[in-house]
Amino acid sequence: MKQRLPFTLAFVAFALILLLGPLRPYLVETAALTPFYADVPIGDFLGEPCGLLLYVSAGLQSCFAVPWLGVLLFVSALATVAYAVRWAFRINDAWFGICWISSFALLANYTQLGYLIYTIKHPAVAFAPALGSLAAFALIGLWFHLQKWWWKLAFLLVTPLAGFWLLGFFGAMVTPFVGFCEMGIARFKQFDGISSQKGFTLRRLFSGNDTKHMLWGFALFTLGMMLPALLQVVLHRPLNVEIGHIPFSSLNRDMRLPWVIALAVPLFYGAIQLDGKRLWITILSAIVFVAAGVATFTYSFRDPNFLNTLQMKHAAEAGQWEQVLQIAKDSKQEPTRAQVCLTRLALFKTGRMGDELFAYPEGSAPYKAPQNQWLRLMIGPLLYYHYGKTGFAYRWAMEDLVEYGERPAYLRYLHRVARLNGEEALAQRYEHALSRTIFFRHTAEDLDLCKVEAAAIRPLMNYTNQLDGDNGLVEFYLLNSFALSEGGSREMVELSLMDGLITKNITGFWPRFMALLPTWNGKIPVHYQEAALMIAQLQGSAPTSEIPIEPAIGQRFQRLVEVSSRMGDNASNALALQSEYGNTFWYYYFFVEGLKTN
Amino acid sequence: MKGPESIYKCIAFVLTMAAVLCSCKPSIPTDYEEVSWSAITSPDNFGATLPPNIAPLNFRILHGDATEAITRLHSKQGGEIIATGWDVCFNVDDWHKLLDQARGDSLFCDIYIKAYGQWVHLPTQHFIIAEEPIDPFITYRLIRPSYVTYEELTLHERSLESFEERVIYENMRFEDSDQGQCINCHMPKNWNRESQSQFHVRQALGGTVFINGDKVRKVNLKTDSTISAGVYPAWHPTQNLITYSVNETGQVFHTLDPQKVEVIDYASDLILYNIDANTVQHVEHTASDFESFPAWSPDGLTLYYISAHYTARADNIDADLDNNYDQLHYNIYARSFDPKTCRFGPRNLVFDAEAIGKSASVPRVSPDGIHLLFTLADYGQFHIWHKSADLWLLPLGTEEERNAMPLQAANSPESESYHSWSSNGRWILFSSRREDGNYTRLYISYFDKQGLAHKPFLLPQRSPLHDLEMLRSYNAAEFLVQAVQPTQRQLRRTIKGNAIPAIYAGSALLNPETVTPDTRTRSEERRSESVGY
Repeated sequence: MKQRLPFTLAFVAFALILLLGPLRPYLVETAALTPFYADVPIGDFLGEPCGLLLYVSAGLQSCFAVPWLGVLLFVSALATVAYAVRWAFRINDAWFGICWISSFALLANYTQLGYLIYTIKHPAVAFAPALGSLAAFALIGLWFHLQKWWWKLAFLLVTPLAGFWLLGFFGAMVTPFVGFCEMGIARFKQFDGISSQKGFTLRRLFSGNDTKHMLWGFALFTLGMMLPALLQVVLHRPLNVEIGHIPFSSLNRDMRLPWVIALAVPLFYGAIQLDGKRLWITILSAIVFVAAGVATFTYSFRDPNFLNTLQMKHAAEAGQWEQVLQIAKDSKQEPTRAQVCLTRLALFKTGRMGDELFAYPEGSAPYKAPQNQWLRLMIGPLLYYHYGKTGFAYRWAMEDLVEYGERPAYLRYLHRVARLNGEEALAQRYEHALSRTIFFRHTAEDLDLCKVEAAAIRPLMNYTNQLDGDNGLVEFYLLNSFALSEGGSREMVELSLMDGLITKNITGFWPRFMALLPTWNGKIPVHYQEAALMIAQLQGSAPTSEIPIEPAIGQRFQRLVEVSSRMGDNASNALALQSEYGNTFWYYYFFVEGLKTN
Repeated sequence: MKGPESIYKCIAFVLTMAAVLCSCKPSIPTDYEEVSWSAITSPDNFGATLPPNIAPLNFRILHGDATEAITRLHSKQGGEIIATGWDVCFNVDDWHKLLDQARGDSLFCDIYIKAYGQWVHLPTQHFIIAEEPIDPFITYRLIRPSYVTYEELTLHERSLESFEERVIYENMRFEDSDQGQCINCHMPKNWNRESQSQFHVRQALGGTVFINGDKVRKVNLKTDSTISAGVYPAWHPTQNLITYSVNETGQVFHTLDPQKVEVIDYASDLILYNIDANTVQHVEHTASDFESFPAWSPDGLTLYYISAHYTARADNIDADLDNNYDQLHYNIYARSFDPKTCRFGPRNLVFDAEAIGKSASVPRVSPDGIHLLFTLADYGQFHIWHKSADLWLLPLGTEEERNAMPLQAANSPESESYHSWSSNGRWILFSSRREDGNYTRLYISYFDKQGLAHKPFLLPQRSPLHDLEMLRSYNAAEFLVQAVQPTQRQLRRTIKGNAIPAIYAGSALLNPETVTPDTRTRSEERRSESVGY
């Protein structure tokens, strides 16, 4: 017990810090992407292989919506896996560190996904492997602890079918494995007698006591569970994760290696003569434990842009626009387009777009994931919804629901758009679906937030319907749609004005500017003053006296004109002027180039 | 206790308990108040005319302020079923016994609810039970009301006499990460009397699957001379022939309109496929007219179809039609057919929808050949997305008698679209989005001898919440008099193999028209063969 406690505490502390620390927004997003409905009749999920495991796992995974609760359940399951390994393979306390290899692998299996959480068609990518492994190890333990032959016979009769039906791949693996153990262990024992003449290595590998054989068993079984995933690498062909819900298949290629190396220790233990050297065994097992922890931490997807985007998204969905801006401001690295889009939306919502938009970080940092429409997948419906393009918000929420399942994240926007469109019966259908979840009822029931959102969006819906397509390029479509639009509500004209500036299309500037001028009550937002000065200058004139330009802005512009006329090429100008003019439309217009929308 | 004595006591106890349990039949309250407000149920099928062999019409009682509910379903002949609770689910056998009693008469439904401690009796509701039975099976596809993506698609066969449903074919087995598999349009010949039917498989392992008894074969109907493989099918009633539309279809999306999607044909023709000869012939082949949705008359001497004349306003068809999608109006036309020579006669206008500013689609002739049932909406042909779409009926008599009328009792403010006749012509199965404007559900309406439709009822489901909770749509439903024979395994085996290529054999017209080459341009990424109706 003394040796078990430190390992247990170390693992629990590590997992809690990792999950509840940097990965907290990832957990919340995972819950929103978990399709779990509490009232599914038992027959429905028992009616297909692996149905029970997936249903229970999805239920537990949806608890990530309350991060501490979900983490408590997840870490408990992972810790229990280590104890199940110990019990199943009768591993003594000196080797206890080895028992945590599976737990770390299962943790990493989830934490390394990052953006892929959106595109993996698995209802419970975190919990299903954990619970499946737990059940499999427990069944193996049960086998080894059964004494009477008739119990073993019953086990062999029941487990293949029931195991597969209830636990899928995890259950299916148990029976062949115990059969292999029964035959294999007997065979290994013979090596003591027959292999002495055959060769030193084989004898050392295969001969030995029960401890060695059990360590062997653990390593082989765990490798067996990883086998389909490893085959995936060898065959260079992705396996469909839905078929049998193969464990560890979500581990990326690089990630599989550490676990194979870690498992090599118990696998080749026979070659290391440590019998009776308890201290050395403990040290070796502790090294494996620490290495597995380091590998898990290293490969966990902690990309700040990804996690910041999730935080910004969750704040936006809660209507906390200031929070969105604060996260954008605090961000230290070049933002992705998703972050830029969320920042612009928050500035528009808070009415600060005209004063601050060009003061926020701009950029197009690549998404650290294989090529895909990540912006659309993460925040497409959110952006379209808030910008009043309800047809496209509904479309993409539906397309993703078709592709990835009835996830609450999509139902939320289907419901919101139906409400906004006045499609009451349709809204009630989605409300009913959300009410069947445990943690996402509030997204349909929070009528106050719905009303606040709707009041802000309706003015943006004052345009003529048309047939169109966006090819999934959300930002590009939104920018052009507003930049090229004419008329509409005050909010639409302001978006047209600003998106014209963002796309550097200044042809429609003056009509929009003049239309909005009376609404500013003499206090023209800074960026529009900057644009008026610059566009007038480009057109060879100056703003008329009816446009009240602040003297400080006028002087700043004059200084820019003087300084830039004395300087060299564009690149050196950009560098020299960034500190003083980096937060202006002028700087954006002349020096910010090569941004890739979406 | 002594041995035998204790056993007797046990038996007595069990028997007593069984007797007590058996006697716990719910009873109607004796003390209640009559009220005038109607029962609110989901679905609301009361007043509909039912077939005498239909599955139980289970429903949920929606009265939020009530605490208990008892329902009594009874016939004039004295039979009754009593159910308690909000979800009223009838035993299938008891229901059928009651329907047998009430055949040609009515069934009555009394609902009692307990509100604020007092039982009240809501006004008695009724169903009319027709004499004529309905075909025992239907087939349909279940699909999300989706746009471009699709995932799990299933062709189902459902018993109308019970809730039994089986999957004829599902697409996920052959789907891989590179290519999905789309399936659509399961269409039987003559209500599957001769066990002949067909459906399409698109993309991965694509082809049209022909079922003849337990034999299955797969054919590639796309030839170099036709614009696509076969799409909307119509079996010839007596010959081994099928007419198909061939379509270049695209989807475009509304930015604001709750109708959400437009499915537009950018080109379409008609072809005739001869199953025995494995040949494809053109029936309609003009660039300036879009033809689709063929349908045979029951005698096999006339082919009906829809056609819209397209006047190009720009070189790029996509851009042109995207901007003028609401200017395409489809009329119903017909061509005579000689089964001996397999040649079609000249084209005749049957219903001029354009003249009344409308557009017709999915013409279907009744089994007695007297009526043409079709969908009419403001524009286009893919009416499932058009809220203006309603069912209309055209008597196929002389020209003077051809006075089309809406099928009033069957229609709703939302879309009514794809429809089919039962083999005896007394039942119409049609899809409607009347529940919420987005999810298609199946309704069945009685069509009486006077040519009038009766209030339709929703396809019965075991759970009253089924239609609320299922986020998929019913698609292209057809009646069958007998089940489809091949198993999924047989179908998969054939689908896995190669498709037999069909051979192009020129025009099937008696006097072939000169075909002008189509010089207009299409956006390549917008091309697709078909979209689920």
